[in-house]
Amino acid sequence: MAQISTGDIRPGMKIEMNNEPYIVVINDFVKPGKGQAFNRIKFKNIISGRVVEKTYKSGDKLTLADVEEKQMRLLYTEQDAAVFMDDNTFEQLTVPFSVIKENRKWLLDDTLYETVFYKGEIIDIIPPTFMEIKITKTDPGYRGDTASGRVMKPATVSTGAIIQVPIFVEEEETIKVDTRTGEYVSRV
Amino acid sequence: MKDLTDLLHKRAHMLALTRRFFAEKNIIEVDCPAVLTYPNLDDHIDVIKLHVTPNRYLHTSPEYAMKRLLAAGAPAIYQLSHVYRKGEVGPLHNPEFSLVEWYRKNVTFSFFLDEVINFIRLFVGDVPYHKMSYRKAFVEYAKIDYLVANTEDLTKVLKDNKVDFASQDKLDKDGYLHLIFSHIIEPNLPKEELIVIYDYPASQAALSQIKEKDEEMVAERFEIFFQGIELANGYHELTDHKEQRKRFETSLAKRKEELPLDEKFLKALEKGFGDCFGVAIGFDRLLMLHLKKETIHDVLPFSWEEI
Repeated sequence: MAQISTGDIRPGMKIEMNNEPYIVVINDFVKPGKGQAFNRIKFKNIISGRVVEKTYKSGDKLTLADVEEKQMRLLYTEQDAAVFMDDNTFEQLTVPFSVIKENRKWLLDDTLYETVFYKGEIIDIIPPTFMEIKITKTDPGYRGDTASGRVMKPATVSTGAIIQVPIFVEEEETIKVDTRTGEYVSRV
Repeated sequence: MKDLTDLLHKRAHMLALTRRFFAEKNIIEVDCPAVLTYPNLDDHIDVIKLHVTPNRYLHTSPEYAMKRLLAAGAPAIYQLSHVYRKGEVGPLHNPEFSLVEWYRKNVTFSFFLDEVINFIRLFVGDVPYHKMSYRKAFVEYAKIDYLVANTEDLTKVLKDNKVDFASQDKLDKDGYLHLIFSHIIEPNLPKEELIVIYDYPASQAALSQIKEKDEEMVAERFEIFFQGIELANGYHELTDHKEQRKRFETSLAKRKEELPLDEKFLKALEKGFGDCFGVAIGFDRLLMLHLKKETIHDVLPFSWEEI
């Protein structure tokens, strides 16, 4: 793959180190007025999510990772995998839950996901930032709850995630959720 | 989005205060050219070369020209000008920035330092200052005596402080000292006072004099930091033209690119200008602190990326 100089590395770029893909979080230029210039770069491992920080002499070259992203639509889920389709080519792709990991709780049929490939292999799927999902189970809120200071209650949504919602929200309602934090945003 | 109108007013106001500060002290303003025939030679500062014939370079500081004026008999002088440093882009760096540089003949270090501190206080308010030698700063914050440490010891300091230096090429000892200073010491300096670091290693003298101090050869150089940001770099100026030529030649030998020596500057040193202190201060960083902004780009009308 192509090389890139530390001075040209921007957040969001994908870099390969030790045969693993990383995404650049921050690239900080550190230079004492009369001293050697450095780039202190924070990377996040795309597969494991682990964050590492490394310092390079400015001008060092790093290797770009062969990472591609494309949007695919979720067709259906199986026992231990989800099946996606590329809307342009109609090509289908089966992604095991072992790859999807914790994002499994955001799988909703007929929704577009960002799929991430490293050297042609699927390594991650990213749900939309905001999703509208139906509540399948939550206990009714009681008036007494607010008096005791409790204003939120757990609710299970159709994708399986458990969200803290205000006590006035009922079963069968559809709510908007922020998938980055797993937090309730509003009623729909 | 920047509030440009507000920024321009505040920037103009601080430029005016800067000029008034010097006018009140009878330090006269000079405006030496930004375009040079002989480039500044600093080991770690890259010069921007212009595409003209004959070769010309943008100054990285007005130092050589100002010293020629000092040798020609100019009294105390300052210059407030844009300077240019290739490739320096970051939250605290813009390749074109404003530098306030001034020189004082026949004054003591403490007189000069007070003047520098008072100038910085125009921007950051009446904060106290604290002096610490470079060697003491290493003992205090990196738990090592840099003077006796070798590169292996310095590598261990990095490891102990979880600094992962990942370059393939190794650094020389000064490279490791720069790394430790910028990654471990600077972020841990007290934030509520101005910190004056002085007596740098002789190997980092740049254009300052070297003296002996407790079996240590130190450069009579100081830097001032506030809230972890480097603001000022000052020297008890080197005036020995033979020593200056030697340092230039050492610096040139390390470079791939061939650059010409400024013989006019060396000639001025040979003529001499007596005992002298000088300092260069980043105006935009002062403005950042004054306006409590996160990056240098927030205080420039247009940053490198915006123009």
